Amino acid sequence: MNVSFGFSQIQEHVQAANEAVGQAIIGLRGAPANLALLFTSAEFAHPMVLKTANNLLGEIPVLGCNSSGIITNKGILKYGIAVLLLSLGRQTFFNTACVKNINGENSFLSGKDLGSKLLYGFKEVRRSITIILSDKLITDGTNLISGLQEDLGKSFPLIGASGSDNFANQRAFQYFNNELVSDACCGIIFGGKFSFGFGTKHGWKPLGRIRTASKSSSNIIKEIDGEPAIKLYEDYFAKDMLELAKELRRISIFYPIGIYLPGEKEYLLRNVISIHDDGSLVTQGDVPQDSKIRLMISTEESRIAAAIAACEEAKRNLGNQKIKFVLVFNSAARFFLLGRQHEKEISVIKEAFGENTPLIGIYTNGEQAPLTSISYLGQTYFHNQSINILAIGDQ
Amino acid sequence: MFSFLVLGALSSIIVLALTLFYKMYRLKELNTKVAALKFSLEEMDEQAKLIMRTDIELNKTQEELDKKISGLDSLQKLSHEINTTLEEKQIFNKIDNRYLEQLGFEKAMAFLWKSFERELRLYLNIGYNQDESEKIKAEINLKKDYFLDLIENGLVASSVSSPEGFLAKDKINSLFQVNSFIICPVLTQEGDKGFIVVGTQNTETPLTKGDQELISILCNQIAQTLDNARLFEKTWKSQQELEMKVEERTRQLTSALDKVQKMSKRKSDFISSVSHELRTPLTSIKGYAAILLAGSLGNLPDEIKTKLEKINRHSDELVHMINDLLDIARIESGKVDMKLENLDLKAITEKIFDLLTPQATTKNISFNSNIPDNCQSVQADRSQIERVFINLVGNALKFTPQNGKIDINARCSNKIIQIDVKDNGFGIPEEAQDHLFEEFYRVDNKINQEVKGTGLGLALIKHIIEAHGGRIWVKSKLGEGSTFSFTLKTA
Repeated sequence: MNVSFGFSQIQEHVQAANEAVGQAIIGLRGAPANLALLFTSAEFAHPMVLKTANNLLGEIPVLGCNSSGIITNKGILKYGIAVLLLSLGRQTFFNTACVKNINGENSFLSGKDLGSKLLYGFKEVRRSITIILSDKLITDGTNLISGLQEDLGKSFPLIGASGSDNFANQRAFQYFNNELVSDACCGIIFGGKFSFGFGTKHGWKPLGRIRTASKSSSNIIKEIDGEPAIKLYEDYFAKDMLELAKELRRISIFYPIGIYLPGEKEYLLRNVISIHDDGSLVTQGDVPQDSKIRLMISTEESRIAAAIAACEEAKRNLGNQKIKFVLVFNSAARFFLLGRQHEKEISVIKEAFGENTPLIGIYTNGEQAPLTSISYLGQTYFHNQSINILAIGDQ
Repeated sequence: MFSFLVLGALSSIIVLALTLFYKMYRLKELNTKVAALKFSLEEMDEQAKLIMRTDIELNKTQEELDKKISGLDSLQKLSHEINTTLEEKQIFNKIDNRYLEQLGFEKAMAFLWKSFERELRLYLNIGYNQDESEKIKAEINLKKDYFLDLIENGLVASSVSSPEGFLAKDKINSLFQVNSFIICPVLTQEGDKGFIVVGTQNTETPLTKGDQELISILCNQIAQTLDNARLFEKTWKSQQELEMKVEERTRQLTSALDKVQKMSKRKSDFISSVSHELRTPLTSIKGYAAILLAGSLGNLPDEIKTKLEKINRHSDELVHMINDLLDIARIESGKVDMKLENLDLKAITEKIFDLLTPQATTKNISFNSNIPDNCQSVQADRSQIERVFINLVGNALKFTPQNGKIDINARCSNKIIQIDVKDNGFGIPEEAQDHLFEEFYRVDNKINQEVKGTGLGLALIKHIIEAHGGRIWVKSKLGEGSTFSFTLKTA
């Protein structure tokens, strides 16, 4: 496998796409490119960028999305375009697909549709991993994953992310070949000779009494321990509902809800995105009824330690394979929390994999990744505030 | 048997009662422990709440501090960048998205009010594409009165607080496609004023007064730099105009000088050729006069002789004048090579004094010279320097009354000797001193009316001194005498 990168921060769209893709093509030194990952800041979510990239790359599949920040070896690009080109060996196989117009009603079916599209022509191939990129405004992300897992299998490694937009709460775009789409989920499945190691962590620890989501449905927690869900935050932060309505979204970035998952080592985090008038909490990702939940707390040290642990886990899972490149899906909330220290997290990743190991990634608004399971390979969940490291091996 | 059974039953009852009692005791004990645990759990939960509340306050403080440090840091860097330019457009170009992000914003625009065109013109655009910025610009100009009011009153509008009567916050948010904004006037002392708007779509970080203060500092900085740039441009333009004028004047002067030089050369050529042409007939006139006076053509009556002597004398004067003119013309045109040699200044002055002693004696004028030992040797053309001395001392004799004195002093420094010829004669009027070295200039006084002269002597010696690389000047006061000074190089 050959890998190359290209970056650009030129203001003009076409020139920027030309520069980034051109650099990546040159970087492959004549090896044929089979697949391109394209990440851009919101300003470059433009059809001309895709058209230019496709013109330069020919017929190869292009997948990507926009994000509030692009993670690279050279630091974080808050503005610009990054391209990863892969030239895969003959024994490595992949397939790409995209489902559009996903909404709360059809997310399960859309997931299932994506799964079957990805598996089309892949029946005889040993499957390795699926990577998906989806719109962050798809509220029922859990059902989308469940749909995908219908065909792919519950313990089949599936990781993914939704692009972020600097907390603007606006639509993020996905790139599929020369299409700029939203309300969509695009994916890629790898198989054959393809090795990877994966690690996901968040660094939040539970604090306070265990509570039960006594009444919840999908991503709305109506009651906790028989009382309106908002009371949890009212009690802990000594603020009334009106005050919380203004700042709960922000507070929950610091103190998300943690769902205890029997058999899993880590709590699953959920950000609160809004409050209903009856005191129900709307979370990013579902909270099953009767889940044991707690408020979670973290420090800068615990979050950095989690990033290191995720890297170590990915390295351990990859075994002795030489690492070709590292793909990072890192929650935008972590970037926000680290503030001026945001380079710290990238530094520890670079330290873990070596300064010269190619690195590319995005800041995300919701991640999909398997939790490290005690008893089996690990089921994929929809996460908030996690750092996900995918180390791709040489073979 | 019965009693045995009763005993057994009794003992069983006792055991059961004891067990029950024990169990009840244990249950009570466990209940107490559960209650204690519950209490501890509640206490721990309360502690957890305290921890959360403290933590959120700490986080808030930390966040605000981080924001301030980051804002100040980028403000300092940005100020430095802005200060490096003195071009109006470049000042705004220095503000890029990197600095803006550090200040906590991702969109920015700057407008300056062009009073002549009556429009707010866009000078900075970060975070908007061409279509968006055109649309915003058009909308701003439609609502320009609101923004001009802000500028006029030096008010800041933001998501935190807006002045009364200004556009509603949601309208501003929608206009600039942001969730929080700060609009701050750029109040220059000179030229166009304007405003800067910065905004963010981030809904998680609320704007604070601190943000407003930072943007106000930035706007003040921009206003100051704009003032500097405009002042610089003004000064630069004046300087350019001045330089152009100087250039034009220099060109005119050069052209005039060229003309003067050409005319001077023509004059010198004319004098030279006329003098040559005059000398030939003069020589003949003098020759014939001499033949007639010698009586070679027979004796002449005394009256005729007297007339012939006059012809002869005037011819001599004319020859003298012609020679002076020719010398001036030659020196001016560089045709005379100065034969420089090391000369003894003392010897020259003594020779001159010897030469002129008869005239000095007649008027009882004393000669003095003060030439220090280290100023004795000069580098000059002997015959020409002697002419200079004869001329200056001769003039001094002419204009010094009976019992006067003439001093020749010398002093030297930096390989230059200054020689002063000083008399205590009548002196020269101030207005005449500037023209003294001009050709044919004669001071209008009684002596000059009586004593004939060509007015070429001082002009000639000026040329001689300048041809030696020196200069000559005069200091004089009426009734107190004159001092003619000139410089020569030491040997």
